[in-house]
Amino acid sequence: MAMRDLVSGGAACAVPGSSSSSNPLGALANALIGSSSKTQERLREIPTATATTSDGNLYAGVGEPFTAALPGSELEHALYPNAQGSEFLQGFRSMDQNRFSDAWDDIQNPQSHFIQPMNGPTNFNGPPQRVLSNFLHSFLHSGQGSAPFGPTSLPVLGLSEGDKQCIRDRSSIMARHLFADKSEDFIHAQVNALLSSLDIDGDIRARGPIPGRSPELEDYWNESQGMKPGPHGADGWVSEFTQHQVPRDDPNMWIQSFERQHGANGWASEFEHEQSQLVSVDQMRGSNIPSLAAMEQTRMLAHTLAQNNDPKFQNSKFLQFVSKMSRGEIGIEDNQFKPAAFSAPGNWATEYEQQYSGGRSWADQFSNEQLSHGPHGWANEFAAERELHGGTENEWVNEFSKLNVNDWSEEFERQVADGVLGDGSADNWANAYDEYLDEQASLKQKSDSSRGVYVFSDLNPYVGHPNPLKEGQELFRRGLLSEAVLALEAEVLKNPDNSEGWRLLGVAHAENDDDQQAIAAMMRAQEVDPANLEVLLALGVSHTNELEQAAALKYLYSWLRQHPKYGAIASPDQPENLYYADVARLYNDAAKLSPDDADVHIVLGVLYNLSREYDKAIEAFQTALKLKPRDYSLWNKLGATQANSVQSADAILAYQQALDLKPNYVRAWANMGISYANQGMYEDSIRYYVRALAMNPKADNAWQYLRISLSCASRNDMLEACDSRNLDFLQKEFPL
Amino acid sequence: MPVYKTPFNGYSVKFSPFYENQLAVATAQNFGILGNGRLHVLQLGPTVTERASFDTADGVYDLCWSESHDSLIVAAIADGSLKIYDLSLPPAANPIRSLHEHARECHGVDFNTVRKDSFLSASWDDTVKLWTVDRPASVRTFKEHAYCVYSAAWNPRHADVFASASGDCTARIWDVREPGSTMILPAHEFEILSCDWNKYDDCIIATASVDKSIKVWDVRNYRVPVAVLNGHGYAVRKVKFSPHRGSVIASCSYDMTVCLWDYMVEDALITRYDHHTEFAVGVDMSVLVEGLLASTGWDELVYVWQHGTDPRAV
Repeated sequence: MAMRDLVSGGAACAVPGSSSSSNPLGALANALIGSSSKTQERLREIPTATATTSDGNLYAGVGEPFTAALPGSELEHALYPNAQGSEFLQGFRSMDQNRFSDAWDDIQNPQSHFIQPMNGPTNFNGPPQRVLSNFLHSFLHSGQGSAPFGPTSLPVLGLSEGDKQCIRDRSSIMARHLFADKSEDFIHAQVNALLSSLDIDGDIRARGPIPGRSPELEDYWNESQGMKPGPHGADGWVSEFTQHQVPRDDPNMWIQSFERQHGANGWASEFEHEQSQLVSVDQMRGSNIPSLAAMEQTRMLAHTLAQNNDPKFQNSKFLQFVSKMSRGEIGIEDNQFKPAAFSAPGNWATEYEQQYSGGRSWADQFSNEQLSHGPHGWANEFAAERELHGGTENEWVNEFSKLNVNDWSEEFERQVADGVLGDGSADNWANAYDEYLDEQASLKQKSDSSRGVYVFSDLNPYVGHPNPLKEGQELFRRGLLSEAVLALEAEVLKNPDNSEGWRLLGVAHAENDDDQQAIAAMMRAQEVDPANLEVLLALGVSHTNELEQAAALKYLYSWLRQHPKYGAIASPDQPENLYYADVARLYNDAAKLSPDDADVHIVLGVLYNLSREYDKAIEAFQTALKLKPRDYSLWNKLGATQANSVQSADAILAYQQALDLKPNYVRAWANMGISYANQGMYEDSIRYYVRALAMNPKADNAWQYLRISLSCASRNDMLEACDSRNLDFLQKEFPL
Repeated sequence: MPVYKTPFNGYSVKFSPFYENQLAVATAQNFGILGNGRLHVLQLGPTVTERASFDTADGVYDLCWSESHDSLIVAAIADGSLKIYDLSLPPAANPIRSLHEHARECHGVDFNTVRKDSFLSASWDDTVKLWTVDRPASVRTFKEHAYCVYSAAWNPRHADVFASASGDCTARIWDVREPGSTMILPAHEFEILSCDWNKYDDCIIATASVDKSIKVWDVRNYRVPVAVLNGHGYAVRKVKFSPHRGSVIASCSYDMTVCLWDYMVEDALITRYDHHTEFAVGVDMSVLVEGLLASTGWDELVYVWQHGTDPRAV
């Protein structure tokens, strides 16, 4: 019987698995294997392993050494075609010779035949597009510099390189199982966020993603068509090349695959080495993503996971584990995860110390840097300078190491002021120090605002203005949001109890694409005036943008309760836990009660965004727009919802409406850019980001979006302009 | 039916092919991301008792019972090694073998059920290796997959044929007498995490994927799947054909459920068991007792129950 029959289900293979000679396969097995007695002998050599009766007749009639004869064993060293096997192979092939091309087409266009379960209503719960981009950034960002000032390792963790590699690789692989319908970048970012909270560099040598499939399939197909034995020279090389082709946009992956082919000793490892050196140099410069921010990212990841409405997911210990990790409550010691003795949130100083002290004070850092930089760069200069200045600096360094973290900056400042360091040489120092201070400031800002503390700008020209509120309202009306923010800050500094000042400040921040500050300002507004409907609604929206469902529901519920018309619908004592479904039901009731109230439809739209029922959300916003056609922020909401539901083309129309109504609406410009980027129109997206940035250069998110689009559009030549935030140059290059 | 709590997160569960009241469970600490592992051998009775347990330095991702010796278990360890345990020996004498060739995590093992002399290991180093219990080194390495291989399964009738499931979105059919794979099945658009052969039709294979579906294929005509089973809400982690009914399939998923399917009927889902509170990652059907199921998951629980009853009912 030919293997063909076996494969096509010929009657002769009806004797399953028996080695009796009536079965050709069995006979073949007998001939090839031989040796059952020998096998059993060998097995008995394993201490007291007992052969059971069930295999009694398995190796009947044999004599030769088993191991040498195990089918296939010879193939490990010498590959030669085996007549039987070829026939077997033939069996598969001969089935359908004529339809190969069809099959190939199918594989090329799998939609036509392969069922696409992903197209149906999906249960995957990723964050909406905007958040996804945020994740993407943080990854890109960390890819350039990664981790904070002293990133090598947190002393408490005691993780070996191997452990880190393990965590990195395994979480990457698992994340791909969980976030299958997300982009590789998304997954990478997710994992990275997780890893950064453990202070592990996520991106350096993590297990790469699945290689692109289509180039490979070509190979499969050639193989299965039996074309393999053809001229092996050039063709073989080409096919090998194709086989190892990987998506080109990820240099790490490429290195990895190179390494896999050529071993770790090739130049790839050298490159990697250099790269990691570069990374560490970057880290020393302090151009790094702060780990607090990373922790924040992990918090978002936890949130994302927690978005699944299934109560089982809400209770999942795995998800709690992730979220604990994100809050820094879990550290790793001796190869085990342990609850960490982390500070209570809010205590910035302690947190700071935890991150930067522990044997890695700034002074230490300095001496390390000095060592690692060797004869290069500023360290050298500094050393030279030190010689010039004789003992002063030695003292200074000594003093440094004695100082408390909180004192040394003043000390440094004092010394700089005293001119001890001299001018030119101190520049590098001063720069590094400034950068460091900036970083500290932004860290502080992030950590504070995430807790709802409003962070004021320094050097506010409007302080002392006779009527900053009026000025702020005017600036806001003219769309000069950044200026309006300053004026309104001056107002609330002057009158901390002015709810309207806080509210408008919050709105300005929201329109400027800064939800954290918006929330902080709105919370102050709400403290002053707990029943302000606009404030409650704004808080609900901002928390939705930040994916904070519980908080969003709380404020939306309060809105309903405070509302004169709908107060009766909501029960007066707010339940401990608000459930999405309950709140949505109440709002649906409200909509029935007064179908002409645009605000109710707006809230419904927001709620449906929370539950990711984007179609319903779009419908709700459209209804609201019929009632309030000139509400630009409503058009923006509609656009964002459409973008989230993968209707980027429609979204652009909606954003355009918003911009027609309010030409300097930064958020809409930036959102427009995102929608173009989502459609792969990177050149266009760049123009919109640049426009948004021209209006608000402080929109950090937009800078990061811009950087991504520049890379995607292969405009690496402009990255420098982006990194140095050279707006003039960018505007000339990308006029709108 | 009985429930057993393991200290670590469950990864795999397998009934003994020799004793109807024995099963083994592979577990790993910290969801298998980092930490130790433990292999439990459990005895079923009115309650579940532990007959033996073996600690490992890294997580245990999978296990298989020897088909030729009732006391041998092969474990797939996350550090890339395979360890062979002999239950008839005291813990100190175990493991009796540690085979370390895979460069990365071992994720699946399967013992040959026809010739009963060898087993396969599937690894995240993209290879499948063929081993015998008595040899210190692997017999062969099958290196064609372009990404992690999650599982390998012997054909229940042909001693030399097996299938492998990989994250490169293909399943491959191999004949160990052949130098390369005999067939490449681009079965899903997403990673394939598991595969198994029909026990009554040696040409039917099922694949389970991150795309949340299970597909059933006839290797004689693999252009179109015989059936597509949709219903899991997340990636399907394992798929297993019933040893008693040709068309019945068990599966478990990251959606925390265990499902039973009949791929021959239109409404394929027979039952959904949602007893686990974390990802369900291990499922098995007893060869010796029809309808007896076992499952484990990251909730550190091992359930054994008769099909049709509530796994949680004591």
